[in-house]
Amino acid sequence: MDRAAFAVALVDRCRRAGLSAGLTETGDLIRALSVVSAGSREEIYWSARVTLVRRQADLVAFERVFAGVFDDDVPLSLTRDADPAARPEDDVQLPLPGATSRSGTNGGLPWATLPPPVAARDEPGDDAPAVPEMLPAALAALADRPFDELDAAQLEALARTLAAELEYWPRRRSRRRAIDARGRRVSLRHTIAQARRTAFEPVTLIRERPVRRPRRAVLLCDVSGSMRAQTAAYLHLMRVFATVTAAEVFAFATTLTRLTPALRHPSAREAIAHASEAVTDRFSGTRIASNIAALLDSPHGNTLRGALVLIASDGWDSDPPERMAAAMARLRRRAHRVIWLNPRAGAHGFAPKVAGMSAALPFCDRMLPAATFGDLVTAVRVLLAPLVSSRA
Amino acid sequence: MNSFDDVRARLDTVDYLVDDGLAMAVFLAVRLGKPLLLEGEPGVGKTAAAKALARALDTPLIRLQCYEGLTASEALYEWNYQRQLLAIRLAEADGSRLGDADLFTADFLQERAILRAVRYSGPRPPVLLIDEIDRADDEFEALLFEFLGEAAITIPELGTFVATRPPVVVLTSNHSRDLHDALRRRCLYHWIEFPGPARVAAIVRRAVPGAAEPLIRDTTEFVGRVRALDLEKAPGLAETIDWVSALAALGVTDLVEPLVPQTVGTIAKTPADRRAVVAALPSAAPPGGQP
Repeated sequence: MDRAAFAVALVDRCRRAGLSAGLTETGDLIRALSVVSAGSREEIYWSARVTLVRRQADLVAFERVFAGVFDDDVPLSLTRDADPAARPEDDVQLPLPGATSRSGTNGGLPWATLPPPVAARDEPGDDAPAVPEMLPAALAALADRPFDELDAAQLEALARTLAAELEYWPRRRSRRRAIDARGRRVSLRHTIAQARRTAFEPVTLIRERPVRRPRRAVLLCDVSGSMRAQTAAYLHLMRVFATVTAAEVFAFATTLTRLTPALRHPSAREAIAHASEAVTDRFSGTRIASNIAALLDSPHGNTLRGALVLIASDGWDSDPPERMAAAMARLRRRAHRVIWLNPRAGAHGFAPKVAGMSAALPFCDRMLPAATFGDLVTAVRVLLAPLVSSRA
Repeated sequence: MNSFDDVRARLDTVDYLVDDGLAMAVFLAVRLGKPLLLEGEPGVGKTAAAKALARALDTPLIRLQCYEGLTASEALYEWNYQRQLLAIRLAEADGSRLGDADLFTADFLQERAILRAVRYSGPRPPVLLIDEIDRADDEFEALLFEFLGEAAITIPELGTFVATRPPVVVLTSNHSRDLHDALRRRCLYHWIEFPGPARVAAIVRRAVPGAAEPLIRDTTEFVGRVRALDLEKAPGLAETIDWVSALAALGVTDLVEPLVPQTVGTIAKTPADRRAVVAALPSAAPPGGQP
């Protein structure tokens, strides 16, 4: 077997599936194949996986590529079945069939390379499956439509634009300090450690500054019956927060469900499916005050300390308003900012007349409408904006 | 080590059971002389893999525990300033003169873990374990590049030390922070999956030889069920081994015994987890018929 040709072809397929394998990895694979006897599929699989895959998130794509190359003649091994990453409903897109059909144009090389960039311009009517590119205007039009008029794919596209909004995340000052030449304080410890080299004369001053860490965010979303139209969009909102930042996300109707682990899944569709499975009390009644109190008392209550808290609900609460006021007062004391997203707030002539909503309102920094994606983007911008005396 | 079955057999003799993937990763790391980056959940046996490898190769294990703020002077080398000062004082008393070349010599060099691994002069290369690299800062990763790429360390005053026999380097990471691509590129990579119940039982059997077979079967099956619960910190292999050894030390043979809930602290590490695990324990009421 021509090891080099095999390795280069496999790496090329991996690269097209999104792995970041390069020349180093190819060289490693070639050398690995020369020391391994490479008699069985198992040996080739593991040597390729150890040398080509450099992060866990790439394993799924690698499994697909490898299966695509080898699975015609050899049955699947047991270890692959045990791997949860290899489930068939995963939505990783691999352009394998198209790639093999194009390989004839590469001048007889044993591997398939990316098509030349000019080809697309020469033949615009190419019948190959193309990704429809979203124009900004199309997205903007979608962003102003109410959530219940959008389908799953449109929600995903809008969620991606929302993720782009989260680029600059507010930071908080931590108690730790780090060395920085432009710091204000002199770091005593490091200066003295440095002074050991100069007979304990502090010749060079070493400065330090406080370490800044991303501020935590906590999202609480209402998934009760009255919020049915918004639930899917809010799940996407929560997923964006959970993946882009280290946010804690919870859904509630009658009970509180922590969705952070479910929504951290790299694939949007899987994450939403996991989350929908996890929430058992979907579209039932609402007990906002009890759920906020439950969160404050739970082990995750500490994550609220100094956090940006986003509550998405219409405020229809079956708990008495006094409980709501008490829970919100506790939340207010613990959190850095509390923002309430109300899908009805954007409607003409809206006034927070629902008992729960009016009880909660004095403890919120802002109440913002959240009926369309445009609203959500605005809300995210408000959330990330520096705090300008809104607590006064 | 000639083939990866050989690796498996050798690790087996030091009571560390490996699957195909880890055996291949270790074999390639030793044969290609590249560092091996192991990732996986906490308690899945990443550190134990390096220790077992050192025992299997019969070489010393040099361990570097990473932490936030780790710098070159703790990981690579440091000059022994006290001894340099003493040498200067002595020279002054003798009336002789000391230059830079006299002060920055190997005599005054304090080796830290990585330099020790590079300068090691035993019959076989040592195993260097760089533990929990994700805890160190980004700058420290950059510091490692020269060593990981060329197994060399440059000391500006002395020159470059190149390892005569490059050490077997194992890096572990708990995946708490994304490592830089440049670091990943210099390493072979293996993600250690949590093993299935049969393998867990086999590993526990090796680690706790005194435990009874039914106890091992019940506990591993129970831990498998507990891991499916929504715990803050799911119990890993290390916790399972702790638990079985605790139960074996107490003479417990069955999970329904009244002492068992008091030993749950070995696998549940927060109050909420403890409550959930105790609630999941099989109750004594239906004799023989566990849920």
